Amino acid sequence: MMRLRHFALPAIFWLFVAYLFIPIIVMAAMGFRDSNFVAFPIQNWTTRWYQSVLFDKDIAQSLWLSLKVAVVSTLIALAVGLPSAFLVARTTGIIRAALVAIIVLPAFLPVIVSAIALRMFIGQLGLETGPTAIAIGHAASTIPFVVLMVLTRLNAMNPNIADAARNLGADDVIIFTRIILPYLAPALFGAVMFAMLLSFEDFVRSFFLGGFEQTFPVLLFSKLRFGLDPGLAAISTLVLLISTAIGLYADHFLRRRRMKNGIMS
Amino acid sequence: MTRLLVWLRQFGIYRGAVDLYARSGLFRGLVIAFIPVAWILVLTIAPYAQMVLISFYERYPLPPDQTVEFTFRHYGSFAERPLYLTAFIRSFVFASLMTALTLIVVFPVAYFISKVAPRGQRTRLLLLVIAPFWISEVIRSFAWMIMLSNSGAVNSLIAWLGLSAEPFEMLYTNLSLSIGVLYLTSLYMLLPVYSALEKIDSQLLDAAANLGAPAWKRFTRIILPLARDGIVSGCTLVFLLVIGLYAMPQLLGGPGTTLFAATIGQIFSKAGDSWPQGSAFSLILIGAALGYVGLFTVLFQSRRRRRAS
Repeated sequence: MMRLRHFALPAIFWLFVAYLFIPIIVMAAMGFRDSNFVAFPIQNWTTRWYQSVLFDKDIAQSLWLSLKVAVVSTLIALAVGLPSAFLVARTTGIIRAALVAIIVLPAFLPVIVSAIALRMFIGQLGLETGPTAIAIGHAASTIPFVVLMVLTRLNAMNPNIADAARNLGADDVIIFTRIILPYLAPALFGAVMFAMLLSFEDFVRSFFLGGFEQTFPVLLFSKLRFGLDPGLAAISTLVLLISTAIGLYADHFLRRRRMKNGIMS
Repeated sequence: MTRLLVWLRQFGIYRGAVDLYARSGLFRGLVIAFIPVAWILVLTIAPYAQMVLISFYERYPLPPDQTVEFTFRHYGSFAERPLYLTAFIRSFVFASLMTALTLIVVFPVAYFISKVAPRGQRTRLLLLVIAPFWISEVIRSFAWMIMLSNSGAVNSLIAWLGLSAEPFEMLYTNLSLSIGVLYLTSLYMLLPVYSALEKIDSQLLDAAANLGAPAWKRFTRIILPLARDGIVSGCTLVFLLVIGLYAMPQLLGGPGTTLFAATIGQIFSKAGDSWPQGSAFSLILIGAALGYVGLFTVLFQSRRRRRAS
């Protein structure tokens, strides 16, 4: 048992960490290979891929589209998710359970099916495939997370604060903007980060709902089906570094807030 | 900000609306419920309702001046070609095996972080393993393509060590697909299992050890039952994730690993009236997957949780 605890388990853990990180490190290194092909060993090193890839027109356009879609879908997800959380917070019993179920269910259905259901439906809304359709699809997939994150924070709120403000003469708009929103701020920040990243990395919905313009994951997918090259490794590395940094920062931020609140309460 | 809102109160309309909101429960309900309910009706329920409808149509879009014909033949076509049935069964077997494999790999990792590692390091170790969570499915597939292709990292290493002159065909097989999918699923398993394990009081284990319970007994009688709900929700998440995978099987898998999600995708990329068949297949997939997961949950979830919900 002692041997299992102090030797086998740490070994498994560090093997797992190696499994997670070695492919990423190898890909980052491949971005430095001075050749048009992916192969080993890397004998000649160059930084030209990392320098040139950002000025590649296709890639720059796809990144810009991904970013736009991420921002718009996050705004939609907030506009729907925030009132949804308030609605859930005001209901009780079976209505609440049903409401939560229908809000959360889309997160559990196979992605391919929800993408296709929406693809067939957007015509009824007068939409074509394209960035707007993608943004709506991404919002539909991130709303469950926004609602759950806001709801968790909302449930922890002391209702006396709002009542105190009301007794001091604040109306509902003032209570909402000066008390409830600032209280929810950390949850909203986390939800925004989460929704942006989920949208940015999504492939299936962008693939089925997208038109002529491709988001970054879709462009990368179609390029990968033709062949691998170090330039793609370079841009993929840059994108994953940025999204990982944002993700870790958001996670760290939420964790710290939760800890602080834990001590205070 | 507050000053602006107070200033706004001098306008009758604004004041009226705010007062109405404060006084009338119905108006308040309308304001809060309008957007969520509209969204749920239009973008959650309606697309699936339309999908169910389309799956029964003879053809879609409907030709002009023709009455709607309803048919079950698209559901019937599922059983007609062995190609579809094979992909369907392969999807369920593959997803079940991947769920089991993910649990086996991730459980010791979660156990190490939550119970064995020093308390002060836990957050740091957890961050280390959840860092790759934010990487797109396509980029992860790409990273494994670089690792496993014939001129990739693993084969180059094998050749350099002199173990084999011939490269091993690893990419576009079940092996490469499993390695890549495990990369994707492990974090969805890790978080629920970790939070279940973290809640287990270590003193309970010490007490059992003092009373003479051997290690395997502590594992089967204390750790497993208490971690059960976390394991069940992790397995559910992973299974549903794998059953819907679309990009990774096409990048890392080959002709012999076609999954049902790809079958559905192919039906939709065909032009013309393939929507009814695609809808029928999608509904078969949802029905089977939710039924399978539901059965699994009922069988394995602890009685305490079931009674509480």
